[in-house]
Amino acid sequence: MSPQAILITAFAGAGLVFLAGKVHSHLRDFLAVLSSLALVGLIAWSHGQYGPDNEIVYVPDFLGMELALRLNPLAWFFAIYIAIINAASVVFSLSYMKGKEKLGFYYSMMLLVNAGMLGIVLSGDFLSFYIFWEIMSWSTYLLISYRRGPALHAGMKYIIMSLVGSCAMLVGILSLYAQFGTLQIAELGEAIAGSSSGYVLFILMAMGIAFGVKFAILPLHTWMPDAHSEAVSPFSAVLSGVLVRMGMYGFLLVMYSIVGLKTILNLGAGFFNFHYILSWLGAITIVIPTFIALLQNDAKKLLAWHGIGQGGYMILGMAFGTSLGVAGGIFHTINHGSYIALLFLVVGAVEYRTGGVRDLNRLGGLIQRMPVAFFGCLVGIMGLIGMPLTNGFVSKWFIYKTLITEGHPFLAFMAFVGTWGTILSVYKLLHNMFLGQLPEKYKEVRKAPISMQIPILFFCFVIFLFGVLPGIPLRAIQGIQDTMGFAPLQLTMWGLASGAGALNMLNICFAIVIAFAVVLLLMRLGAKPRRVPQEDSYAAGSSVPAGKYHHSVEFYNPLYQMISPYLKDRVDQFYYWAADKAQGVFELTRRIYTGYAGTYVLYIISFLALLIFLQLAWEIW
Amino acid sequence: MTGIIQIVLSPLIAFVVGVLFLGLARKIIARVHRRYGPPIYQPVIDVVRMMSQRSISHGALFELGVVLALAGSLVTVMLIPLGGTEAFQPFAHSVLCPLSSSGGLLVVMYLMLFGPLGLALGAGASANPNASIGVSRKMLLALAYEVPFLLVILAVMSQYGSISLTEIVARQQQASWGVLSVPLSAVAAFLILPAMLGIRPFDLVTAPQEIASGPLAEYGGTCLALITVQKAIHLFVVIALFVDLFLGGGVNLATFLVKMLAVFLAVEMINAVLPRVKIEDAIKFCWKWPTALAFVQMTITVLSK
Repeated sequence: MSPQAILITAFAGAGLVFLAGKVHSHLRDFLAVLSSLALVGLIAWSHGQYGPDNEIVYVPDFLGMELALRLNPLAWFFAIYIAIINAASVVFSLSYMKGKEKLGFYYSMMLLVNAGMLGIVLSGDFLSFYIFWEIMSWSTYLLISYRRGPALHAGMKYIIMSLVGSCAMLVGILSLYAQFGTLQIAELGEAIAGSSSGYVLFILMAMGIAFGVKFAILPLHTWMPDAHSEAVSPFSAVLSGVLVRMGMYGFLLVMYSIVGLKTILNLGAGFFNFHYILSWLGAITIVIPTFIALLQNDAKKLLAWHGIGQGGYMILGMAFGTSLGVAGGIFHTINHGSYIALLFLVVGAVEYRTGGVRDLNRLGGLIQRMPVAFFGCLVGIMGLIGMPLTNGFVSKWFIYKTLITEGHPFLAFMAFVGTWGTILSVYKLLHNMFLGQLPEKYKEVRKAPISMQIPILFFCFVIFLFGVLPGIPLRAIQGIQDTMGFAPLQLTMWGLASGAGALNMLNICFAIVIAFAVVLLLMRLGAKPRRVPQEDSYAAGSSVPAGKYHHSVEFYNPLYQMISPYLKDRVDQFYYWAADKAQGVFELTRRIYTGYAGTYVLYIISFLALLIFLQLAWEIW
Repeated sequence: MTGIIQIVLSPLIAFVVGVLFLGLARKIIARVHRRYGPPIYQPVIDVVRMMSQRSISHGALFELGVVLALAGSLVTVMLIPLGGTEAFQPFAHSVLCPLSSSGGLLVVMYLMLFGPLGLALGAGASANPNASIGVSRKMLLALAYEVPFLLVILAVMSQYGSISLTEIVARQQQASWGVLSVPLSAVAAFLILPAMLGIRPFDLVTAPQEIASGPLAEYGGTCLALITVQKAIHLFVVIALFVDLFLGGGVNLATFLVKMLAVFLAVEMINAVLPRVKIEDAIKFCWKWPTALAFVQMTITVLSK
């Protein structure tokens, strides 16, 4: 299947859904689901069909450049990951968005974002890359501000930061064209090999700003929490799950496909090495956002901060440039996609059934009412922490092992502390929504509809599957690494085979299952407990009032008081300060244009006088 | 075949030794307090009695949480070498560690999370606010001691250049013990041992007089029996880990258990004499001295490499 057919399906789907929205709502829903599932099928079918047959020049002469599409292992891997998460979110939207206004617009934008992302990964040259990047950025902007009101402000913040990134990328692309006369990714790789390290660094910086804004690396992260708290939940899943990770694709493309492994590792001197500085940025991106997440009470903001924090692990793995580290970084990208999408969908389901509540201080006890959502949340947080048997564990294990064996225990420490901070905040998420007392007003809450349960259970399955048999995705990652010139890892279906540092998930899985069975058997041997209602609990003789004593507000109060003074988002404050000052400058500039012809004449005369004075004084011309 | 024997044997050792340690702890504290104390096999009597008592349940998760906690602890034991050596020595046997090539120390650290998480889920399934307060304290205490503990673990892993626990033990047996090559880490680890075990002065999670035993408030009967067993195995795991990291493991099971007993007695002396602290003070303590010591040791280890 050619990359052209995939992109045509993606864009045609977006257009058709918009038109169908004008005709009938069922037709629109049907088409949206059909086209997103068709894309998954098409991409899955095109697996392994790499090579010159699948490189298509779709515009032969655009200002003297060829616009091309191509399919290679890296592109395929990201394409399938994009398509699956998007399809799950579209299915989830069916009930979540029911009855909202402008649905034709919503679905068509969801599919357009998808098409834009697929375009990015399938682009064979940087001009197409840039065009699809902008399609993605702008349709994201429209989706973030879909709900109007404060969402407009969040969308504006996003698009301004995104534009700064795009400008930086454009500078990089133009410079590449001026230097080498081509924008074909395959040709650039050979062309750039001979250039100076200063120039390579400049290209990496320019591109890095663009990818860093999308990726939400500190200090370019400030758009993300606002965007998430305003966007609708199914789109949050796409936003945090895949869209942000387009930055990861960009980094991989520029760092390893174009610039190449050897150049990257020798860029800079001693401590001021490019990949070393990038690793430290990654480590800081892990620690600070994770602890800010601890202070959040809005379920989606909490997850958004974790989305930023988890990005740090990917950067850490990727920046090191060892086979194990890069494999861990890429693997963590898709793992993160699966569990963060799952968690956003769970929060969306709770929001949907409780009438839009996602304040963690006002929920509780929903486990009896929404068991599937609870299960999804439990699996999701286990993945986010990286408990054994989930996919998050395997990728984090790869990254930790890289850091330790490469001799960087301080970076490893920051990664570890991030994980242990994650445990606290995600347990709060689970506890405050699903455990403890069920408030009176949620007594009648029903379980999530089937179109929400399917994506939730699907992601749970993926998390466990890749956790126990990590060989499935790791083989595909191995294919990517072969094209980039990494030494192959000794992979097996259940992990890594290499002596004392081996990992065998299947053994751990068997051990846990057997231990679980044995303990369950022991429990059956003992006296069977009597089932009592939840409210019937011990309170030293006095009765616990039902529905009022849910310990959730200020769950970690002693710690909040200790750490909150250090965790203000000063970067965000700085940007607001800079924007404020810039506005002042613009205001001053505006005053120059008074609107009187006389003033302008005065400007011209004084400018001429200045020129004459300069000429007389220094005789420049 | 030896594999299957090991898989059965190592949790069994952990169970027997852990339960006896629980009994020994009561005896030691009683003697320090100038009481006679219960017989050393008292926990066995308690577990059997509780298994036969009918208690209450707040739903499936209430019970499954306990099962998860105990299963997690049992699997953790299988990853920890309980004595034995790779080289031939008189009175020595091969390493007793059934899952030695399944991820090493990193997996142990994560598997140790199953215990607290399982209990937290089970306690959360009841609607008792005391249980929630206890869980909140447990999470905070875990973060407090994990910061120095991670530094300690990383210093040891950097010192021996391996993430495999069996390899770390083997290196110590060839050269010098961890307590000599990373001394400050050993001190830091010893300082946080009471917090990891949840005993005085850090028994604030299950403080009976304040929050009605916290997460255990609603439990009784079979579930409480299994929680007691979990506590015993957790005690075993933590002390065995200390012996493996700093005291060179053991050339056979007997020397390993003797070393464990020594560490355990030292920790119980602290347990017997100190009063309970508040959670704020526990966090401050853990983040002050143990963290500073562990940090200094890690810096030294990295610089000397």
